[in-house]
Amino acid sequence: MFKSEELEINLGPQHPSTHGVLRVKLRLDGEVVVACTPVIGYLHRGVEKICENKTFFQGQVWTDRMDYVAAISNNLGWVEGVEKLFGIEAPRRARYIRTMLTEMNRIASHLLWLATHALDIGAMTVFLYAFRERELLLDLFEAFCGARLTTTAFRIGGLREDLPPGFIKQARAFQEVFPDRLEEYETLLSENRIWKKRTVGVARINAEDCIALGVTGPVLRAAGVPYDIRKAFPSAAYAEMDFEIPTRPEADTYARYLVRLAEMRQSHRIIQQCLDGLPEGPVMAKIPKILKSEVNEVYHAIEAPKGELGYYFVGEKGGLNPYRMHVRAPSFVNLQALPKMIEGRLLADVIAAIGTLDVVLGEIDR
Amino acid sequence: MSDPIEPQAPGEPEVPAGPYVYDYAASPQRQIAAPKTVPLPGLRAYLAEVAAQQAADEAKWKKMQADYETAKAKAEAEGKEPPKPPVKPVPRKDDTDMKTPWPQEARDPDLLRLQSLLGDRVEEAFEQAGELTCQVKKESLLEVLRTCRDDAELKYEMLADHAGTHYPAAKDFAFSLVYHLTSVSRRKRLRIRILVPEGFEPESACSVYPSANWMERETFDMLGVRFKDHPDMTRILCPEDWEGHPLRKEYPVVGWGQRDIDFRDDRAGVLMRIAMQKAGQMGINLKQP
Repeated sequence: MFKSEELEINLGPQHPSTHGVLRVKLRLDGEVVVACTPVIGYLHRGVEKICENKTFFQGQVWTDRMDYVAAISNNLGWVEGVEKLFGIEAPRRARYIRTMLTEMNRIASHLLWLATHALDIGAMTVFLYAFRERELLLDLFEAFCGARLTTTAFRIGGLREDLPPGFIKQARAFQEVFPDRLEEYETLLSENRIWKKRTVGVARINAEDCIALGVTGPVLRAAGVPYDIRKAFPSAAYAEMDFEIPTRPEADTYARYLVRLAEMRQSHRIIQQCLDGLPEGPVMAKIPKILKSEVNEVYHAIEAPKGELGYYFVGEKGGLNPYRMHVRAPSFVNLQALPKMIEGRLLADVIAAIGTLDVVLGEIDR
Repeated sequence: MSDPIEPQAPGEPEVPAGPYVYDYAASPQRQIAAPKTVPLPGLRAYLAEVAAQQAADEAKWKKMQADYETAKAKAEAEGKEPPKPPVKPVPRKDDTDMKTPWPQEARDPDLLRLQSLLGDRVEEAFEQAGELTCQVKKESLLEVLRTCRDDAELKYEMLADHAGTHYPAAKDFAFSLVYHLTSVSRRKRLRIRILVPEGFEPESACSVYPSANWMERETFDMLGVRFKDHPDMTRILCPEDWEGHPLRKEYPVVGWGQRDIDFRDDRAGVLMRIAMQKAGQMGINLKQP
């Protein structure tokens, strides 16, 4: 009467909860996931190959298209990696502005995560709330560089332009309203019984597994490891900033939600410090018009909203473009942990697990 | 799949018979400029290069002086005014903020410890741009990684990144593979590098660092380096039936060409002919695999 055979199903590649084109092969025993294999590559554009054939200045434009919800973080990694390769140091004011914009982008990325994650789980309202604040941030990006998503905000050696007039005022207006808005999300979700039922204890992964699998970012911090590249290997102006690394010991979906909310508070703090202590001075270092590299290799990692975003450059003597460019995409490495998180759990938790990893397929497939 | 693909000679493309235009010169992206140098960073290579440069400068200066002496003797013999003595060229100073990071000797305690632990398995250890690099023998990779992870003074718990680079101009190796290790507890980074020739299968790091699984699959997909004892050595980003490995230097940016398109409904072949014509005008060879 009852059949006990295992069922194999495909989740994606076209499924709203996969946040792009991720295909997950699942083997199910009833409603329990027995095996899970993520299949990626549907969005592969060969960014690394293209960047090898573009100059250091041109390649940066491609980094916007990787993690398209956190383009400024990608830009920061690229310009700082190239600066490390050439031995350039950006002026202090430029580094402050970079820090500020990157933190704004972190908030924007976390807001998008919150919106879509809650939408996946079934809380529709948060989506509208979160996008309302994200709009303010995108307006700020637009004021700064003219683009809302694919920003190419920074330049090698500093910034192309100083802050536009009125930017500080606009940013302070955002700073005014944002803490209250964060509390609005918390009232909607933090003690919501349905939300807690769908997230508490779901998609657990402990600290040892996280480190073994290379998982970084909020997922690692929600497992209790206070590892943040902004503190561990500070770049930009993070060494001068006063902020904390939020961690939680539970290592489940709810803990990651709390960690990301706390991170938004810390980002808000950093933006405030940048606004208050913004130094005067030039925003561009003196660099030659044509950058010719020497034989050198660097690996530069920054803390992107999803985790450790690393750029690996190999320079050729007299080369105008990188001999080899490799991106260590946080989502790519974090997605490896998906089978570990959901094997033996229910099918409905797969959706929560994909959401809580905060993957962006443009970055995974590159 | 690991067979190296014959690079397409850009000068003499195979022109299929037919009224199609295959103008490879008009499509610069199809041309492959094979790299002539081997930009492998290293202290020894750098020192050799500096010494060679100094020797060349010295020889040039000697020659300038000798030329001056002969010109002077000649002028004296002819009773003319002697020429101006040469000026030793000084390196030009540019006033930019760039301080190129050159390779430096290994002074970091981690590198010294690795050298003392591993002995002659370390081929080279140096620092550059504030980063530690340790090049080891390709056969002892797994052992080195295990040492880095388990040694109480090193404790590199996490494999942050793995990448490979293709060096077609090098003689005794074809790829350099780097492993970027991170010590979460000690906040340090270390780069382990091996050089492998074409066809060599390095050991998979999956048994030491499980995160190497997908990274090594990506290296295999992009460069064609297979790893021994890897749990699932398949392509990850490209489709399973993809030909070639895109990040090799002989692979053109636009690809080897499009594959044969099966126009099943196109009985009369009209669509096919139009597509071939259009592609031919753009310099794309649809018949190429």
